[in-house]
Amino acid sequence: MRPGGRLRWAALAFGLACMLVLAVAALTAPEHLSPPQLALKNAAPPALPPLGADDRGRPLLEYALQGARVVALPSAVAGLLVMVLAVGGGLLSCVGSGKANTVIQALGEVVGALPRMLVVLVVALVVPRDARGLMPLALTWAVLAAPGAMDEAASVAQRLGGARFVEALRAHGYSGLRIFGWHVAALNLRPVVVRQGAEVTMQVVFLEIALSYLAVAEDQPSFTHADSMVSWADLLKLGYPAIVLGEPTLHALGLGLGLVGLVATFALSLGIAARAR
Amino acid sequence: MGRWWLRPAVRLVAALLLPVLVPAIITALIWALPGDPASIICPPESCGGTEVLAARWNLDAGPMAFFQGWMQAALEGDFGKSWRLMQGVAVAELLTSAVPNSLLLIALALVPLSLGSVLTAQGRLPSQADPLLQVVGLVPALVLALMAAAVVELTWGANSFSTQGGLARLLAGALVLGLADGALSGTITGTRALFETENKQRYVGVAVLRGERRLANTFPNVAPALAGQLRARVLHLLSGAVVVEAVLRIDGIGDLLWAGTLQQDFGVVLAAATGFALLSSTLLVVQAVVEIAVAWHVRRAPDLGAVAGGEAR
Repeated sequence: MRPGGRLRWAALAFGLACMLVLAVAALTAPEHLSPPQLALKNAAPPALPPLGADDRGRPLLEYALQGARVVALPSAVAGLLVMVLAVGGGLLSCVGSGKANTVIQALGEVVGALPRMLVVLVVALVVPRDARGLMPLALTWAVLAAPGAMDEAASVAQRLGGARFVEALRAHGYSGLRIFGWHVAALNLRPVVVRQGAEVTMQVVFLEIALSYLAVAEDQPSFTHADSMVSWADLLKLGYPAIVLGEPTLHALGLGLGLVGLVATFALSLGIAARAR
Repeated sequence: MGRWWLRPAVRLVAALLLPVLVPAIITALIWALPGDPASIICPPESCGGTEVLAARWNLDAGPMAFFQGWMQAALEGDFGKSWRLMQGVAVAELLTSAVPNSLLLIALALVPLSLGSVLTAQGRLPSQADPLLQVVGLVPALVLALMAAAVVELTWGANSFSTQGGLARLLAGALVLGLADGALSGTITGTRALFETENKQRYVGVAVLRGERRLANTFPNVAPALAGQLRARVLHLLSGAVVVEAVLRIDGIGDLLWAGTLQQDFGVVLAAATGFALLSSTLLVVQAVVEIAVAWHVRRAPDLGAVAGGEAR
């Protein structure tokens, strides 16, 4: 096997392992954090394995699991939505529909005319308090990111030859499913579509962390999850005083940053795994 | 070439519509929420006199009357008063102090991006650095902003809110915005891809053989695409500014929007969102002007096809 091939397989294995871990963590997350145990306040990982405790002696493992539950489904749905729309954009470009391409471009111009965070915050503002969750924000983010992904997929399809490529394969007697599903989408659009989907998944996780952190820092309820839940942002909030005030919460900061790094590596690895040979 | 004006015209129309559409949509959303708008400002169970409040905030005559009144006042520079965040304070006052800070932050953040773009266009930045930049670009704005906030607080201590501390926050925020979320790496790879594609064109090879500079030939042709990339980049920075300003406590329009959203202060959100829409409109106008200027420049150039045809005749 060539070195590039080995790297792609390793990246794919890592990406799938991350997805599996995230899914298991989300499914096994407790409904509520354990009751405080002040004797274990800020316990380091060796004192309360595997991840240590918060400032009330509650295990940080529960923070990590609940955070996974907050982000797992919405980020996956957002990533999948972008992938589906990107494939649609690429296929439309192959069909040779000039009007559809113009409409997509115009839509992209309109949707992309405003900063994404502004739109997300307006959506967060109007979601009723009892219906708050990451899903509406994740879907909004995906819709805002989709025109860019569709445009990039359409460019790839155009470089491929667009309608002429499809015509050539039809001349070989290939079925529509084989042409569009296998040759266009799976073989040629895959690198762009998977990378875009992975990036949006990562961006939604980071959006959740950012919005939750900003809310928690102001002692306000988060827009992204119920008050009974905590997110990975709480780990950063808990750990930040370790740098500024020297409090013994460096393990919480390390865990929070580690999770952020893991999500970024996950997105990067899926992009590498989907690269064209 | 015949319809060169279409794209800039669409952008100019969008630029005109955005500052009206954004507050109109938010107004519609206020009325779409469960319960009447006045009870959102002040829930009846916690305070009486909701009708009086509704009359004071012009909420009692329906969304159309509210929107028309708000727009008319906004055109005269009066954005109403804060509903919850700083009750009774004129929003225009808040905007006056916030907008310059945000503009300065974005302008400073554009310095590394512009440098990266120029050096890439000149071919001075090796493409070998791209993977490293892309890895750095994966770091989210929140994490970099927290690190920057820690550095500022550790360096300036109690003085971190003094004038010098404020400047340090602004510079740190600009650096964070310039690096985080793939801002710098996106700029460099985008510019590189644009120029690499253009440099493959035949006219560039001919120009180089004639002893002309490559960049001087390619620049007019890539200028509209560069303007588009610049607009996307500034929008990206404006989006990130919300997080960076809130974490680094920079009194900007992003921080104002965040605080208004958190407090459900529609008065502030309406004005801040309109401010964002105005900035977005300005970017659209800039892009349209670049496109018009390039089209004008290209149309001024001699029509080589016609010249060649004339010689043949």
